[in-house]
Amino acid sequence: MARMKFICDAERCIECNGCVTACKNEHEVPWGVNRRRLVTVNDGKPGERSISVACMHCTDAPCMAVCPVDCFYKTEEGVVLHDKDLCIGCGYCFYACPFGAPQFPQAGAFGLRGKMDKCTFCAGGPEENNTEAEFKKYGRNRLAEGKLPVCAEMCSTKALLAGDGEVITSIYRQRVQRRGKGEEVWGWAMAYKTAAKTAPLGAKT
Amino acid sequence: MMARRIAFLVVSSLTLILVGCGEIDQTAKSEKVYAGKKDTRAEDGLAFGGDKKKWEAALAKRSATQNEYLRTDVKK
Repeated sequence: MARMKFICDAERCIECNGCVTACKNEHEVPWGVNRRRLVTVNDGKPGERSISVACMHCTDAPCMAVCPVDCFYKTEEGVVLHDKDLCIGCGYCFYACPFGAPQFPQAGAFGLRGKMDKCTFCAGGPEENNTEAEFKKYGRNRLAEGKLPVCAEMCSTKALLAGDGEVITSIYRQRVQRRGKGEEVWGWAMAYKTAAKTAPLGAKT
Repeated sequence: MMARRIAFLVVSSLTLILVGCGEIDQTAKSEKVYAGKKDTRAEDGLAFGGDKKKWEAALAKRSATQNEYLRTDVKK
């Protein structure tokens, strides 16, 4: 059983914002909502690193734990999704999420919040697959088309990897072994309760 | 006098033990139940018609394209 995960390789990310743009375009995400965004540390200084951040689809997702209306669910592939028909836009998930993934469109005057929107791992939501209703609420369902998230597939340096955890860690491990550095996998210890470093090549994950 | 003391000790210790048995579990129940609509599985769309094996194969093929060491002819 595939367990869907993201890896962002800080050694490779060049802060091009290709993933952010691809995501916004693919799902026609409104202004003010960023399902994916780039975070840069030590900007303009030696040792500058950029990370592409979105929902990590955590193993033990804190958003699911705090939701007062229980609108979150997890698919068989481990993708954390939510039902927008139930969401009341309370914002609890935003405070609980360590990655700042939940986003809220401004629904009216005086900062009134709309229903929560976040990365769906390009897996849509609880509507019939690849329908107009699903697209309008959650964006395109690429997973149902046998495709991976567009952010990772569009990444020019392949800094962002998406897919089955075992497959992407083996790609990353191979990469680390070749370059001899950067084995830390950003966000994994937090999201998946795994080691923050990749295991040696050939080891079981 | 001694017998009364022993009886008192036995009764009080038994009471303490029994109080422990009657303690109500105060741990918060963390198991949340999804209250929304049921979602269709990824392979249940028009593209794969419920064929999970075919869907997994398509996804594995896509995943492999993320590894440039497989795409280019680089010696491992």
